[in-house]
Amino acid sequence: MNEPADQEPLRTPPGRLFRKYLYAIVALVFAALAISTGFDVWFSYREQKQLLAATQREQAASAAIQIGQFIGQIENQIRWLARLPPELSSNEDERLNAIRLLRLSPAIAEIARLDAQGREQVRVSRRVADKVGSNADLSTSPAFRGANDSRAYYGPVYFFGDTEPFMTLATRGTGRAPDVIVAEVNLRFIWDLVAGIRVGNTGKAYVVNRMGVLIAHPDLWRALQRSDLSGHADVRAALDGVGPPSGGLVKEDLSGQRVLSTYATVPSLGWLVFVELPLTEAYAPIYASIGRSTFLLVILLVGAVLVSLVLSRRMTVPIQVLTQGAKRIGSGDLGQRLAIKTGDELEALGDQFNRMAAHLRESYATLERKVVERTSELEKARDQALAEHDAAERARSAAVAANETKSRFLAVVSHELRTPLNGVMGVLQLLDDGSLSEAQRRHLATAAASGETLIALVDAVLEYARLEASTEMLETRDFRLDQLIEAAADLMRPQALDKGLTFGLAGDATVNTAAHGDPVRLNRILLNLIGNAIKFTPNGGSGVNAAAERRDDHVLLRITVRDTGIGIAPDLHERIFEDFVQADDSIARRFGGTGLGLAIARRLTRLMHGELAVESTPGAGSTFTLEVPLGLAGNGIAQGALAPPSRQLRVLLVDDDPVNCEVGEAILKRLGHRATVARNGTSAVELARDQAFDVILMDLHMPDMDGVEAASRIAKLGLPKMPRIIAVTADVSRSARERLAGAGIAKVVSKPILINALREAIEDDPAQETTATQLAAGALIDRHFLEDQRELLGAAQIDKLHHLLDETGEKLIEDITKAAATGDHARLARSAHQLGSAASALGLVRLFERCREIELAAAAMPLLECPSAARELAALRVASMSALDNLLRPSGQRSLD
Amino acid sequence: MIERRAPAHTVPAVARRDVLRLAGASAAGWIALGATPDRMRIVASLTALPLDDELTRRSMTDSPTSRLGGLIVGLRQRGWVEGVNFRLELRSTFGAPDRLTTAVQELLDLKPDVILTGSTVETAAVLAATKTVPVVFATANDPVGNGFVESLAHPGGNVTGFTNSTAEMGGKWLQLIREAVPDVARVGVLFNPATTPRGGRFFLESIEQEAAACGVSAVPAPVNVPTEIDEAIRRFSEPPKAAMLALVDSFLVVNRQAVVAAAAKYRVPTIYPFHYFMDVGGLMSYGPTLEVRSADYVDLILRGTKAGDLPVQSPRKYELLINRTVARTLGLTIPFTLLARADEIRE
Repeated sequence: MNEPADQEPLRTPPGRLFRKYLYAIVALVFAALAISTGFDVWFSYREQKQLLAATQREQAASAAIQIGQFIGQIENQIRWLARLPPELSSNEDERLNAIRLLRLSPAIAEIARLDAQGREQVRVSRRVADKVGSNADLSTSPAFRGANDSRAYYGPVYFFGDTEPFMTLATRGTGRAPDVIVAEVNLRFIWDLVAGIRVGNTGKAYVVNRMGVLIAHPDLWRALQRSDLSGHADVRAALDGVGPPSGGLVKEDLSGQRVLSTYATVPSLGWLVFVELPLTEAYAPIYASIGRSTFLLVILLVGAVLVSLVLSRRMTVPIQVLTQGAKRIGSGDLGQRLAIKTGDELEALGDQFNRMAAHLRESYATLERKVVERTSELEKARDQALAEHDAAERARSAAVAANETKSRFLAVVSHELRTPLNGVMGVLQLLDDGSLSEAQRRHLATAAASGETLIALVDAVLEYARLEASTEMLETRDFRLDQLIEAAADLMRPQALDKGLTFGLAGDATVNTAAHGDPVRLNRILLNLIGNAIKFTPNGGSGVNAAAERRDDHVLLRITVRDTGIGIAPDLHERIFEDFVQADDSIARRFGGTGLGLAIARRLTRLMHGELAVESTPGAGSTFTLEVPLGLAGNGIAQGALAPPSRQLRVLLVDDDPVNCEVGEAILKRLGHRATVARNGTSAVELARDQAFDVILMDLHMPDMDGVEAASRIAKLGLPKMPRIIAVTADVSRSARERLAGAGIAKVVSKPILINALREAIEDDPAQETTATQLAAGALIDRHFLEDQRELLGAAQIDKLHHLLDETGEKLIEDITKAAATGDHARLARSAHQLGSAASALGLVRLFERCREIELAAAAMPLLECPSAARELAALRVASMSALDNLLRPSGQRSLD
Repeated sequence: MIERRAPAHTVPAVARRDVLRLAGASAAGWIALGATPDRMRIVASLTALPLDDELTRRSMTDSPTSRLGGLIVGLRQRGWVEGVNFRLELRSTFGAPDRLTTAVQELLDLKPDVILTGSTVETAAVLAATKTVPVVFATANDPVGNGFVESLAHPGGNVTGFTNSTAEMGGKWLQLIREAVPDVARVGVLFNPATTPRGGRFFLESIEQEAAACGVSAVPAPVNVPTEIDEAIRRFSEPPKAAMLALVDSFLVVNRQAVVAAAAKYRVPTIYPFHYFMDVGGLMSYGPTLEVRSADYVDLILRGTKAGDLPVQSPRKYELLINRTVARTLGLTIPFTLLARADEIRE
């Protein structure tokens, strides 16, 4: 979750929200401002235009009024002159009055006074000489007639001297015969007026008469040109009485400039006063207003952008802080505090984040504390468990040590007991050379029987010790069941008969067969059971029933031994199979014995995967039932007890004890073999090197070197044919066995040497036996080690290792076989080492040791031996694996063999 | 007609134009003219007056009442500053006809943009010499009669200008001097036939008509050289009672001090057509007020208006000036009718 790869796509590009806000606000403000300004400018423009037009109309009206007043003033002045009573003044006075009027009114160029009949009385002029009393008849003049027709006469504009606009003005006096005053007015004086009319800064007003002729213009010369403007559309329209457009008219003036134009009519004169303002000036305020608005818009926009920046920052910064904070919290940084001080919901959100982070932090802290607590508890429990385990281990070690001590003690004791016994028995056997007397032979028989009993006793102890130490191994071979049972019965019958008891043997036909098993041990059990039946039966008799039931892959042998003896109390039915237990002490006193017999029988039975049970009623006798599964026998079982040896063997007998040497040599000769004696390990090695032997009987306890080392040295001699080495020892402890296995000694003959046992051992040709049968499961695998491993690693892991070992083992065996075939010593050593390592992991000790031996010996191993070593390893591996399979299989399914 | 920086309708009122605007106008004028600053316009002036005359002295140019001063002030108001974008070239004939041709040629060699002429004689000489250089005449009594222009409203050609007194003014002068000197029996008319329109006949007709109407005799007194002035006036100091009219004549203007001095010396009441004579002690003068408008036309012409399109302007105001001290010296009593008419009475 915290991997950068997951976080990368979540990373929000900084500023995206910021830009969004910024654009939105700017767009909003801009739209609002633009619309507002647009409307403002539009309405302002319209209002300004109308205002402008209205102003201009007013100016035109004002100008028209001024011009009207100008003319009206002159009219008033001549009216004043006309209304002077005639009787008040002579002609000369009238002239003076006229002169005064000329001074008063510069526009009047000439004044004439006509009497009521139209005769000129006085004419005063600025240019020509005054005339008094000329009496010229002017009654037909338009001025005179006009003045008489109406109150005042306004003549048409005429041009004097080609350029000067003039107008005749006439009024009539009052009274019965009123005079008429006729004045010639120089309209150029309107120029002063017109030039004085201010229309804006650069605008102007000008006047046209009723005919459309320009009579006054600020550019004086234009008026002097007698310009006829009636051809202009606007002038024409105005002359036709069309009112000026309300918004003013845009047109080109006389100088080609675009102007806003309007006009007004001068009352009573009918003249038109045009007022024109250049558009550049007229619209300047509008443009200025637009400019101001635009400028303002820009300023506001800039302001808006700045405000938007600030606003957007204020809006986005807390969000970014939130985002980063959330990211940090998401990445586990819970100590982070978000500092958002906006005073609004964002701050509240930030606080919530902080609170959430705090809660998370607390939760984490609680969790961590609990984890620490649990961890420490677990550590304590583990320490305790380890301590207990150590204690248990120590206890176990102590127990093992004690057991070993016991085993060693038993071994030593039995060895020390049997060594002299061996001598005694050997001598007793040798005494009977056929020349003895009857008495001697009887004594000898007694001595031999006593010896045998003693040996049996020692054997029982020794055997029990072996069984106790779980070192007892079955020594199986094919044998005939009927022979075994009959031999036991024959052996015991004399005893029964001697006690006056009946002894019956009921052998079923099914026992007339051969089976594969350990006949010696089976015989011992039978002898024990029959012996007990005879021993504990004061009268009556005993009987043996035997039956063999053929099963799929084995034969189930059932033997019942009945007696009519003292019987066993029910509560003792099981106890009697325990060690050193007899029905009660009195029995021991009465019958003697070690109390080990049944325990050994039971253990041997169990060792053979059989069952030994008892049914008994005290006083009525007992019935012991033995059920033992036996393997199917191979073919060619030798009939007859003492078959001559298949061939004469060269045997090297190695023992430091001269008695034993003598006995051993004698027995070997009796068995038909050729014996050579070595009194110590060194000479044994030398002899083995110098002479060829088929078998070496090696005593293990020798002063100079023990048998194991001697065997190792012989093995290293690199003899062309390695003799089989058979250990002769009373030490049958497990460790001793393992040492023997390590030195390549597979056979052990216990001391004292019995002829049959020796014969079997010597003639047991290993070439005819499979390695698998030669090796017992107990020796193949270190069970303790395996158990420990299982405890340590767990069943599942062990299973896994098992499979792994199966596979790699197979492969390595192939490698080894190939390497052996090609003589690749290095590879052989390497593969053997690998196989050994693998095997050691699951406690396959034999395989491991063999591998190690081959590894060590590989370099010097003759080419010819390599394939056999490889074969041996392969066989060993198969056997080990199958043994391992058995061990690892759930106990209920464990195979019987 | 090209665009104009200064509108023509502006009255020559200095008050309306502050200094700042003036400076701005001059600079803006160049740009408006589309002229490069080094394009110096040449305004030439040809006059009969000597250059040291009071009326032409450069020290007087600041006064708008003088003819030249008015021109310079008017041009400045319209964006033309002397020495900056125009140069004023003055030439005088000193009233001498032999100097006239030389002066005209000198001016034309300057390739002036416009030539201002003082009076009819100079106008005629310049017009005879060029048909292309625009000419503005300051005064002309009879431009149509002299053939200067086709009509007053539409002069045509390369000339325009201002008229002075009209022909009827002769009768007016006679009437006025007769009012001042009621017992006058004869009136001398002083003029130089060479410099007076139509050799004096332009005015003499109205004078003789009025003289006949009121019963006085009009006696022409032509003078050709200044030295004859004294003698011409002296002849009217003797009875019968006489007065004199000085006609519109550049010669008389040039020699106005001699004329006035002689009139005082011989106690001959004389009416003059211009107030210049009053400034040197004349009795009375009557004539059109010379409203200075030549700057307007010079400006228009410098900006490209054809001179022939500009109408010839006539005077619209007339002024009567009377020096009562001179009148008392001459033993004259000025009647009411004159006083009522007088625009200025000097003591």
